[in-house]
Amino acid sequence: MSYEDIRKWREQQIHLQMDHEQLNDFHDDLMLKTVQLALEKVKVEQGEVPAPFAFFLMGSAGRREQSIWSDQDHGIIFNGSEQHQAYFQKLGTEIVDGLEIVGYERCEGKVMASESRWTKSIEDWKRQVSDWLDEESWQSLRHFSTFFDSRVLLGEGKLLEDVKQVTFSYIQSHPEIMNRLVDNVGFIQKGVGVFGQLLPQQSGKRTGQINIKTTALFPYVNALRLLVLCNHIMKAPTLVRFAALKEKYSFLSEYHRLFESLLAFKFQFTKDVTEYEEVHYIPLKKLSKKDKQELKEYMKKGAELFQQAKNTIEKECSKW
Amino acid sequence: MDTVLMDNLWVIIGTFLVLLMIGGFILLEAGSTRMKNAGHIAGKTIFTIGIGSIVFWAVGWGFIYGDGNMFIGLSDFFYGDTSFSEDGLSPAVDFMFQMMFALIALTIAFGGFAERAKLSAYVIFAVLFSALVYPVVAHWIWGAGWLADHGKQDFAGSTVVHLTGAMAALAATVILKPRIGKYNKDGSSNELAGHNQVYTALAVLLLWVGWFGFNGASTFGVEDAFFGYVILNTQLGAAAGAIAAMLLVWAVTGKADVPTTLNGALAGLVAITASCGFVEPWAAVVIGAIGGLIVYASMRFFDRARIDDPIFALSVHGTVGVWGTISTGFFATHELSVGMDWGQPGLFYGGGFEQLGVQILGVVASGAYAFVVSFIILKVMDKVMGGLRVSEEEEIIGLDMSEHGSYGYPENIPHPNEQAK
Repeated sequence: MSYEDIRKWREQQIHLQMDHEQLNDFHDDLMLKTVQLALEKVKVEQGEVPAPFAFFLMGSAGRREQSIWSDQDHGIIFNGSEQHQAYFQKLGTEIVDGLEIVGYERCEGKVMASESRWTKSIEDWKRQVSDWLDEESWQSLRHFSTFFDSRVLLGEGKLLEDVKQVTFSYIQSHPEIMNRLVDNVGFIQKGVGVFGQLLPQQSGKRTGQINIKTTALFPYVNALRLLVLCNHIMKAPTLVRFAALKEKYSFLSEYHRLFESLLAFKFQFTKDVTEYEEVHYIPLKKLSKKDKQELKEYMKKGAELFQQAKNTIEKECSKW
Repeated sequence: MDTVLMDNLWVIIGTFLVLLMIGGFILLEAGSTRMKNAGHIAGKTIFTIGIGSIVFWAVGWGFIYGDGNMFIGLSDFFYGDTSFSEDGLSPAVDFMFQMMFALIALTIAFGGFAERAKLSAYVIFAVLFSALVYPVVAHWIWGAGWLADHGKQDFAGSTVVHLTGAMAALAATVILKPRIGKYNKDGSSNELAGHNQVYTALAVLLLWVGWFGFNGASTFGVEDAFFGYVILNTQLGAAAGAIAAMLLVWAVTGKADVPTTLNGALAGLVAITASCGFVEPWAAVVIGAIGGLIVYASMRFFDRARIDDPIFALSVHGTVGVWGTISTGFFATHELSVGMDWGQPGLFYGGGFEQLGVQILGVVASGAYAFVVSFIILKVMDKVMGGLRVSEEEEIIGLDMSEHGSYGYPENIPHPNEQAK
């Protein structure tokens, strides 16, 4: 099997995926096959894997919120020494090349296992996470949030868990960091105007299209990340985070349902797009009056959820 | 005698203020466009002011105020008069003030040329517009023309200056077509953002102050200090326009767009220009605010119609010029119209539809004349000159370099010694 074969498989099957869950299962299969193939290639060229490792996904893949097209966000943790860095970065580079052939665009922000920032030994990863939180600049906290939406696709799950555990210890001893993390994602792009109208792009190729990711999805994603951080839960997919928190916070059940249908809504309107740049945008003219009402409800409730999460964190987590 | 001197002084101060508006237009146009054209915009504006002044002296004044017929004046060319009138403005003062309006109209017209017309097109059109377009409309309304006989109210020039300039700009825009990169193949429009919003904002302020001369000195004297009232209305119109435009764009798009806000202030000024001497202050607020609202609607309309209007001249001076002119048909008071022997009161002051009809007639006739004649002139120029527009390559490198050989911002080009390395 080659990367090309996997790409063909993708092309044949991806439009047969019936819903958001199926689509994300299929993405996982595609990426896993690609990473396994990359690993085999590197083994042939560079020899056996020198240390235990975990290849993990971040971003929308980490959260299992990929659309039909997606870019790459991933990293590697290895349980070894500095001399193994080159091997794993080489593996990362092979994975990036493979995934690109299969149909996953390179990440513009270079959140990829080919970069030294995202491929490190476990000790370096632990230090990196603490450094990000210590630095608490806007950018370092963004890196941290990106990292935290992660799950292992191939390799030792425990390695990622160990790094995440460092996070929880850090938050425990520095509860004030939670306020900074809340502020870091506190900006919610307005999707609805004062007349109750949707606010699409005003110029350029996307004129008349609305960015569903920044206006609707992000408040839910960010709220749930903050709540799991506060509750020491390691899971990355937002839906799994909802499930894990629902007993403790009864207010979440309504938002859980809404988020599920928001994902279905997004799936429905983006399943036929032909390039990655388009997956976050929905042309308003495609939406019926009822669809528009529904979308506005998701946005309104997303902002409400974020506020509730913020209040909860202030009460429970930012000062132990 | 003392009052007459003060009248003359006031109008010559107004003249200075209006000439300074050209500085406002330089900043406005440069700020609203890209930096590769900034030097060109500054230079061509000063240059065409020179042409406009000479043409106005040679024939413009004569076509407007000379003895002639209902459609054009035909005497007093190459004007020069040292006389002093005991009971009115000195002819030279009057002449200078009137010349400024012609220069403003010309500068507005050139808004439609921005970022893509050949410098030679500016030169020729400056001559022809100043001789054949502006003076005719000005004669109709302010000279002894047929619209003046109908009692057309245009206190300081919503129609004569702004609409006339904008109609020429529209003709130019239609013929020149959109700038490279403005529209995508699917018809969507890209924002070719201006390079300096601070310039544009300072431009608005400079124009705003200049407008006190534009409107205030259009009283032609200091009697009863009526200019104070006119300036009060002007201020209110501009203020309301800025507020209305910003609130509207904020509500509609979710962003309080700065260029729209600035255009709102200008729209308020353009709108109140026709009516500042005829209406009450509350009406000035309403007229300015409506100007601010319709300027935004108009900007969107032209953008969607694929008419590329880089500095929004069509909306600010054209659409709002129409509204400003028509507004006196609604809001002119009895005291300030019949009481001043200038037309009839508006619809809301018991004047019925008479004045409104005159205003609409004035707009349609003047607008149509300015558009059609400008269009013909530009079409002929287009044929004779082998195109009004610079080549694609010249447009891409910018008119600073292609037409003038140096950048408005020289930091844009490498030092010659570095090039040689």
